[in-house]
Amino acid sequence: MTRLIFLLPLLCAACTNGAAAPNLKPSEGWARETVPGQSSAAAYLTVTNNGTRPDTLLSVSTDVASHAMLHSTTTAAGGVTRMRHLSGGLPIPSKTAVELSPGRTHVMLSGLKQPLQRGQTFRLTLKFERSGEKRTKIKVLDPQAAGLQEAG
Amino acid sequence: MLRRVRLILWVLVVVAAGAAALLLLRGGESSSSSETEMATLPLGGPFTLTDGDGKPFSSARLNGRPYAIFFGFTHCPDVCPTTLARMVRLRSELGKGPDAFDIVFVTVDPERDGPEEVGGYGKLFGSPVIGLTGSPAQIAQVKKQFGIYSQKVDDGAGSYTIDHTATVLLFDKQGKFDSTIAHEEQDPAALDKLRRITA
Repeated sequence: MTRLIFLLPLLCAACTNGAAAPNLKPSEGWARETVPGQSSAAAYLTVTNNGTRPDTLLSVSTDVASHAMLHSTTTAAGGVTRMRHLSGGLPIPSKTAVELSPGRTHVMLSGLKQPLQRGQTFRLTLKFERSGEKRTKIKVLDPQAAGLQEAG
Repeated sequence: MLRRVRLILWVLVVVAAGAAALLLLRGGESSSSSETEMATLPLGGPFTLTDGDGKPFSSARLNGRPYAIFFGFTHCPDVCPTTLARMVRLRSELGKGPDAFDIVFVTVDPERDGPEEVGGYGKLFGSPVIGLTGSPAQIAQVKKQFGIYSQKVDDGAGSYTIDHTATVLLFDKQGKFDSTIAHEEQDPAALDKLRRITA
């Protein structure tokens, strides 16, 4: 019996990492420092799906802002940019790393409770259709350093 | 019913064709050197706004200096800081120092962005960015002068965001419009333009 209990976690690992399951890993989360009065910010990260089944990132939440939403930025003719809520979520295909990056897709944080300060990290909870909730860390960077990182 | 819809669609086709023809004709009349539609319009011109210290800022301050002007808003989380951070980075890559050209940020959200907000925002990027605001009427006028579109949109979180032209406009030291840097434009092309206005 004791041996069986010992095996349980292994069995569970098998069911989430099994051949027909998504295997999601959020990483490289960052956001830009904000100034007082700035009520919103964007967080960026990479979501890697090492599994063989697709999944969908449905929603996000965090303690640092009253609202966190998945947004996409599009640029129309004439250089007009539009930011829209991805109400259907963000598909994360199997064997793919989906990057949420400046000017494309981001986590919109609105109603920031405090300015984001460089060096600080905060938690972001991601809710997936199949894989449930995953947590990741978002690191607050110098806005200019963040600009440098986007080179290329 | 279906016939009516079809008729409306045809009317739309005719209108669109007419508009396209008009654009082509107008394009043909203007200078051949223009690289964007914007270049065919007389952009810029004098303006007075309010700087980050709450003091009047006259565009005469930019006389004799090349500048890059960008319209956005401080609550804009993605495109605005990305663009300003990029302009600061490009200015540094240009290798002519922070005085090579001015980076001007004008808010399209004067209701929320006062002098304090644009001033603080301008200081965020580690290199001088001139943050400007004004009365809604002043901002509307300056947007018109620079061919900028903006429209408030409900953000689904009890507030609003703004669709806006996120193209950077470049002016030479004579205050003449030179070119634009589009949001998706690659760095080498953007650097070429910056080299030109700072030559």
